[in-house]
Amino acid sequence: MAVQGIWSGTISFSLVAIPVQLVRAVEPGRVSFRTLHRKDYSPLVRTMFCPEEEVIVPADEIIRGYEIGPEHYLTITDEELASLSPERSRTIEIVEFIDMDEIDPIYFDHPYYLVPTKGGEKSYRLLVEVMRRTNKAGLAKFVLREREYLVAVKSTEGALVLITLHYSEEILAHEDISPPEAKIEADETSRIKESIKKMLADFNPGQYADERRKKIMALLEAKAKEKGLVEAPEVEEEEGEGPADLIAALEESMRKVKKKQ
Amino acid sequence: MNQKIVEISGKRLSIANLEKDLYPSFGFTKAQILEYYRRIGKFILPHLRDRALTLKRYPDGVDQDSFFEKRCPSHRPAWVKTAAVRLEDGGQMTFCLANDLETLMWVENLAALELHVPLARAGSPETPDSMVFDLDPGDPANILDCARVALILRDLLIQLQLTSYVKTSGKKGLHLYVPLNRQETTFGDTKKFSKAVAVVLQKNYPDLVTARMAKEYRKGKVFINWSQNDSGKTMICVYSLRAREKPMVSFPLAWRELESLAGRDDPEKLQVLYSEALSRVEKQGDLFQEVLEKKQQLPHL
Repeated sequence: MAVQGIWSGTISFSLVAIPVQLVRAVEPGRVSFRTLHRKDYSPLVRTMFCPEEEVIVPADEIIRGYEIGPEHYLTITDEELASLSPERSRTIEIVEFIDMDEIDPIYFDHPYYLVPTKGGEKSYRLLVEVMRRTNKAGLAKFVLREREYLVAVKSTEGALVLITLHYSEEILAHEDISPPEAKIEADETSRIKESIKKMLADFNPGQYADERRKKIMALLEAKAKEKGLVEAPEVEEEEGEGPADLIAALEESMRKVKKKQ
Repeated sequence: MNQKIVEISGKRLSIANLEKDLYPSFGFTKAQILEYYRRIGKFILPHLRDRALTLKRYPDGVDQDSFFEKRCPSHRPAWVKTAAVRLEDGGQMTFCLANDLETLMWVENLAALELHVPLARAGSPETPDSMVFDLDPGDPANILDCARVALILRDLLIQLQLTSYVKTSGKKGLHLYVPLNRQETTFGDTKKFSKAVAVVLQKNYPDLVTARMAKEYRKGKVFINWSQNDSGKTMICVYSLRAREKPMVSFPLAWRELESLAGRDDPEKLQVLYSEALSRVEKQGDLFQEVLEKKQQLPHL
């Protein structure tokens, strides 16, 4: 079955429009765990606690507030937020082509693949090829999940990749963390240059793997084999039988049923 | 992988591996599974409608690994209806709603042999429209013991002016449903009521019944699982196939039929195979229809 995209529409520039779908390009390999109660393996849940009243607050009593100072908030509703959301994009309109090397990777946010849909295969292949040869990336504005992004579209291994970019205001300044400037000795520079040269290699991501993930998965597998699973109690065994009135009515009915048997 | 495009009500659907045998010791292919659900569609769809669907998928057949899929797969066709459901941990999840035949065919193409649904609809997740007693026999008790307990439960409920309906689980047990269909009823009510019923039965039939979850109490007895009356729990949908050696169905029984079967010493007679399910439902209609419609109120709460 064909992959179902996150978004579908067209990618266009000047007179070219290519029907495409946006699909995920990465799946984080993080191993996730549930939190359990040590004594009986009950899975734990997060609740919203009101320290003022010392109660757990139900979802329908929770609203959003923007903090403008200690104990001072501006409240905002879901409807208000929704009214500010940009309209869903139908096209990814490339407005500029730039050299891929011009974008500092610090701007890269999240990658997706663009795949051609029916009728778009030929012009898609053409665009992939041209962008590969020229090492150019297209810049566009694009609304995904109610947020407008600046995106770069580039060619990778025969496919188009769309990378959402951070806005420049999201990039933190580095002035505060860089050490103060100092004089650099010429022979020091050349020595370091020499060691870098010795360590030069082609980028080959396949030879690196998430070792910790591999070890965790192996550990889990071994545990499942050796010790088996622990089971959470399906429900809390509460004390008490129920409302006295109901129990009395049930006992009375039970007597009648037994008499008939 | 061999693929085929079918069109149902103008919606296109790609289906694959039709010849794959998913019940190998019986011999029941994916094509037969799709055909079963297509024919049972008219009867099962009202019971699936607007309920957050949990798929139990058996991609390599009933004797291989299976997995529960609650999140509606992101590769779903655009026409599949979904509902966002708030989870216990505060998060949200998108569930599929099997509201039409094409969605039912699509989930069966995913080898979702078992279809599990909550007792409430997605639009009102805290309002159960039935109270359920899930009767689960602890070895060496069997489905005949469940039948005895179900009949006692039925008689007890009648004393309280409550009509109940029974179906096979399609595995070892029976499920007894008390339709409510009232906006005012909460899972708190159904849980409290069903637990009290289970406790009273346990007290009166200590050798036959237990109301306690822990395994050590369940041996040789029928466990009345009242805790299924919970917004976070699901039940196997009536008319769903089950993943066991043979393609058995969770199927509604008339009380008279259960009475006569309970007297015979043949637990297998209480299992309904897919073919029998089809011929019976096409003849007698949906014995579980009232579960969706009948309005009843729990007394003494």
